[in-house]
Amino acid sequence: MKPRRTTWEWVVIAFASLFFFIPLLAMARFALQRVPMSLLGRKTLFSRWTIDGVVNIIQNKDFVPALWLSVRIGILTALVLLLLMLPTVLWLHLRAQKLKLLAETLSLLPYVVPPIALVVGVSGAFRTSFPWIITSNFGLVPLYVILCLPFAYRTLDAGIGSIDLRTLVDASSSLGASPLTTLFRVLIPNLWVSIASTSFLGFAVVLGEFAISSLLLKPTLPMFMVQAQGQEPQGAMAVGLLLLLFTTLLFFLIGRFQKRTLSDTQHTTRGAS
Amino acid sequence: MTEFDFPYMVTPNVSEDVTGGPTGNGRALVASTNRKRSLPTAIPLLPYFIFITIFLGVPTVALFVKASRSIEGSTTPALVMAMQSQYRDAFIYTFKLSATSAAVGALCGSILALAVSRIERPRRLREFVTGFSGVAANMGGIPLAFAFIAALGAQGLLTRILYHWGFDLYGSGFKIYNFWGIVVVYLYFQIPLMLLVLMPSIDGLKPTWREAAMNLGASPWQYWRKVGLPILSPTLMGGFLLLFANAFSAYATAYALSSGGARLIPVQIRFYLQGNTITGRGNLGYAMAAWMIIILTVIIALYLVLRRRAERWRTA
Repeated sequence: MKPRRTTWEWVVIAFASLFFFIPLLAMARFALQRVPMSLLGRKTLFSRWTIDGVVNIIQNKDFVPALWLSVRIGILTALVLLLLMLPTVLWLHLRAQKLKLLAETLSLLPYVVPPIALVVGVSGAFRTSFPWIITSNFGLVPLYVILCLPFAYRTLDAGIGSIDLRTLVDASSSLGASPLTTLFRVLIPNLWVSIASTSFLGFAVVLGEFAISSLLLKPTLPMFMVQAQGQEPQGAMAVGLLLLLFTTLLFFLIGRFQKRTLSDTQHTTRGAS
Repeated sequence: MTEFDFPYMVTPNVSEDVTGGPTGNGRALVASTNRKRSLPTAIPLLPYFIFITIFLGVPTVALFVKASRSIEGSTTPALVMAMQSQYRDAFIYTFKLSATSAAVGALCGSILALAVSRIERPRRLREFVTGFSGVAANMGGIPLAFAFIAALGAQGLLTRILYHWGFDLYGSGFKIYNFWGIVVVYLYFQIPLMLLVLMPSIDGLKPTWREAAMNLGASPWQYWRKVGLPILSPTLMGGFLLLFANAFSAYATAYALSSGGARLIPVQIRFYLQGNTITGRGNLGYAMAAWMIIILTVIIALYLVLRRRAERWRTA
């Protein structure tokens, strides 16, 4: 068959590329070039590119605390998410197949209760009974775990579904391993891709989350960006750009991991069968 | 396609073993699971259920309780009041905006998905587009708003270029924090999401269907109208609903674009809650949040129904 002519397809892709890359370019220019928009023209296009804006914002006294808070909350969220979800989904696959539908449906509830409604409900429910969750910066952790449930469940479920869980568990226990040994020496090494994906995604969500942290007035990184937008617009733009690049990197890594698992599983099953 | 099929090729073997496969091991396991089926199997799941109850269930119930009370100086429950005159406008506005961004996003996303699926030659193109879509579909929030302020704000790069070419964007009434401004910004995550939803279904269109149609004398257009689109329509509708829900619950982007002044429901909720001690209208914020949950529940339920219908074609 002769190759199809693909003219309109390329036109569509060209327009899409413009739409998706111009905002990023504009952001980079705003963050890194000190030429007011009204003076930008052919002559000034390459002048006064500088990283001063980035340097200034990093030296802002609120930047490092905000970044550090977001990073700590991100790590804690990823940890709690895994501690909660990994045993749950493993158990669902091993012994509680009947409860899978219920558990999966519950994991999708955060789609129905958006972050803004969740935080409103939390402040209504816990303001007097359990104020820690509203007053402490780390009260955000359980709320962020809730936000992560839908993809955490699906990622782990798919990962566990793609290995021969029962054979691995049976083989390990018939060789005399305790359940904990099986978990740490057999299951986690076989599931590290979905574990890493889940925690990276959770971390990325936390770094960018704004609705909950702004309603609870927590000094996280996105809050800092919004506040800095007024006084240091160039610096705020630079932080936004860095955050985007970092998130893209995380997603890229997740994609690489997942591609590797596909070839890994193909390899192991071929050996097994 | 084979990559996606793969996990499903493995799992059936596993479950066959459980239901009494030829191996002795499998039968032993069935016996042991049968014996302790009743209550104990649920116990290791308790942390999960309890966590969801405390941090999702209790807040949701509290929300509805507060929403069913009235605001100061009135006897009408806030939940009813939120759907009356001036407050209802915010819902209509949010509804229109979500529907517009979902419709335009679904249309553009479908065209892009179709275009990408038909290009074979640089094989990495498809990989790149889906990879980028994964990032862009998740890119809401403050950085996205910033990027569009830099591009389409009053002093934006694109605004300036268009002005140079003789088109005064802001002179025509466009503002980045107005209806169409927010729609355009939302498209940045709506189009990629639609592409990700639709791509597997486009791949699922079997070449034999097209060949059969062609052999029976159909033109490409007839093939799409009579075969392709009807098969894709549950996915297209489902994608539209998903995009609608996505836009409906978005908060950060609109907030940053408008500096907190957008008329969207999520942004309004903040306004009523922060002013609640002064105005005594805090319950109205709870009521709006409650209505968001009600509306999203309906949308997501419809989406799940449509998705099940779409999957029929993939297993057949």
